[in-house]
Amino acid sequence: MSLTFTSDLSAVREFVRRCAHDAGLAEARIIDLVLAVSEVAANTLRHAKSPGTLDIWHDGDEIVCQIEDKGFIADPLAGQRQPGSDASGGHGLWIVNQVCDLVEMRSDESGTTIKMHMALRSS
Amino acid sequence: MDLLTVSVTARESAGEPYTLIAVTGEADITNRDDLRGVLDEEVTQQPATLILDLSGLRFMDSSALHVILHANRALDRQGGVMALVAPQEAVAKMLMLTTADRLIPVFGSVAEAAAA
Repeated sequence: MSLTFTSDLSAVREFVRRCAHDAGLAEARIIDLVLAVSEVAANTLRHAKSPGTLDIWHDGDEIVCQIEDKGFIADPLAGQRQPGSDASGGHGLWIVNQVCDLVEMRSDESGTTIKMHMALRSS
Repeated sequence: MDLLTVSVTARESAGEPYTLIAVTGEADITNRDDLRGVLDEEVTQQPATLILDLSGLRFMDSSALHVILHANRALDRQGGVMALVAPQEAVAKMLMLTTADRLIPVFGSVAEAAAA
């Protein structure tokens, strides 16, 4: 399942919600996954000068949401450190790392790919 | 229908005036400027208490949260107090993950927030 987005994050969230529900992810974890994907998609809108592509697939063990765009994340540790509660930015990727079971980030001059994994069996 | 609506009412609790802002729908990077516009304007009025009713807010991303944190900072500097009311599960999760719920008190109802 694939969705290309340029501005409509509500549609992105609805797409994730539907796929995660169909995959059998528990409701509390659907909320987590929607939060994570929405944050990454918001980063695409903010930083990439191209549309983003969201691909979602699942097997018996996990559901994976992958976002690709033409942006470049220079900091390899982006999202690994917790910002202060009153910080004016930097919460997005931190949240993604907190709620997902595994996050894979790959970024170079040609673009960025972020894969968010959620285990299905623990749900 | 708009994705996000923000409505303001002036109220009173035991003789004390407060400003109630109901935030409804979904708040994210694409519409946070609408939220910022309303919050900035209300903070300028220097209310003693600003209550954000989040019961109708289905989703909030971190960029919308930053708008609330920014308003809270401005309000705090002028001696006012902000309170959040009845966040739904996704919004409560965002407040918890960012520890914003330790910075701004969260209440179950507008009446509780107004009486605090």
